[in-house]
Amino acid sequence: MFLSIVRVIKFSLQDIFRNIWLSLVTIIILILALFSVNTLIVVKVIGGNAINAIKEKIDINLFIKSTALDEEIVALESQIKNIDEVKEITYISKEQALENFRSKHEENPEILEALKELGRNPLTPSLVIKPKNLDNFDNLINKLNMIDNDIIESKNFANYKLMLEKINAITEKVSEAGIVLSFIFILITVLVIYNTVRVAIYTHRREIMIMRLVGASKWFVQMPYLLSSVVYTFLGIIAIMGIYYAFLSILQPYLEVFFVGYDIDILNYFYDNIFKIFGLQFLIASLINIIASFLAVRKYSNV
Amino acid sequence: MIKFHNVTKTYPKNVVALDQINLHIKPGEFVSIVGQSGTGKTTLVKTLIGEEKIDKGKIIVGGWDITNIGQREVPVLRRQIGVIFQDFKLLTKKTLYENVEFAMQVCGGSPKKIKSIVPHVMKIVGLESKAHRYPQEVSGGEAQRSAIARALVHRPKILLADEPTGNLDSLNANEVIDLLLRINKFGTTVILVTHNREVVNKLKRRVITIENGTIISDQAVGKYIL
Repeated sequence: MFLSIVRVIKFSLQDIFRNIWLSLVTIIILILALFSVNTLIVVKVIGGNAINAIKEKIDINLFIKSTALDEEIVALESQIKNIDEVKEITYISKEQALENFRSKHEENPEILEALKELGRNPLTPSLVIKPKNLDNFDNLINKLNMIDNDIIESKNFANYKLMLEKINAITEKVSEAGIVLSFIFILITVLVIYNTVRVAIYTHRREIMIMRLVGASKWFVQMPYLLSSVVYTFLGIIAIMGIYYAFLSILQPYLEVFFVGYDIDILNYFYDNIFKIFGLQFLIASLINIIASFLAVRKYSNV
Repeated sequence: MIKFHNVTKTYPKNVVALDQINLHIKPGEFVSIVGQSGTGKTTLVKTLIGEEKIDKGKIIVGGWDITNIGQREVPVLRRQIGVIFQDFKLLTKKTLYENVEFAMQVCGGSPKKIKSIVPHVMKIVGLESKAHRYPQEVSGGEAQRSAIARALVHRPKILLADEPTGNLDSLNANEVIDLLLRINKFGTTVILVTHNREVVNKLKRRVITIENGTIISDQAVGKYIL
């Protein structure tokens, strides 16, 4: 049995090298399919990361008049805390706001100089509200708008929900396009593998005929072609790992610039999940290719 | 050894290849099956090696009913029946030795077994000195002899020769027939399918004549009667 397995491997490698150009084309098509699948993963990861990062930063600011008394502020704070949609509320004093402002603009001396020239703290205290669930964002805004309190100077209700919806929509659209593209490439791969095996069988038809004539088992005749498809997949996966490493290394600095302030490290994500991502791709691609090869072998090996 | 009971085989468009064939070949016999082209000789060969299924009747080889042989059992049958053809069916990119070796490799023969059997069969067919030549570098007779060597590696009880001299001149044809007779002397049943009158008449062995898919003559020491 061991001997037969060794010979099956030998015949399979012979088959790959005798049709080297066909084998290369097959592997390149496979790489394109894998590239599109991995691009889909990148889009999903970046989209997910961006959404999470934005979610973390979403809050609503209620600016309070500087003249407001402490008890008035505490009363307002507790009134807002009782709203179901509120997760957390924090009071930022005038001094705290100034400190935050200074640390935020510490690299911009012109702003700090202007503040100094002003000679007083121009900022107002505020209440920072974090919503519980973004789905209920509109309800929260409505409820906050209904609060009529004189100590409120202004409200900052930036429409984060709309921004998230836009990111979601873009991610979804790119994913949909990616899925379609991946399916097209997978279909092409299946057809190319099928054709490669068919051509390989045609090239070896005399050998196959003699094998069958002298009593080689069906398993022995067919196995080299099934194994070839696994070898193609393996080589395709190894190639895509190298290509994708280079691709992500180029992409990462651009992502850092584009998503400044958000911690998006796509290279690290692939590095951490290398076996999960490429292992799974290898298994699924092998399975698909084995099925395509099996259909070709079953149809054409009866020479 | 081989029994055909009322074997009938019809191809599409009602072409009758074998019609109610009854045949019994004993172990160690040398039988010539003769007939003109298209009379069913090759179909008979194909049914014997499990390549064609019959419509009616029964075929028994060495006590094994192969009438409804399954795909998985065909390789087992083919290791028991050595077959040679008119066109030799050798691989041109392999030497004669490698061609014979290939038959053992694809059936799982160990390197040790291959090393002991292949030179031995090459010697039997008289090709030990030309074993490392390619099929296109030797005569037709030598190529056919290496095909016989390949057929012998599994030590078959039956050797089926389908028009083995069809592509050979009379000198080479005689060499091949002499070799078949020698193999027969070792106890192997030889079935020679041919339409070579000269060869059949010279053999003076059993001759079965087929015409239009039926046996019209079966003589213990026969001649080519068509």
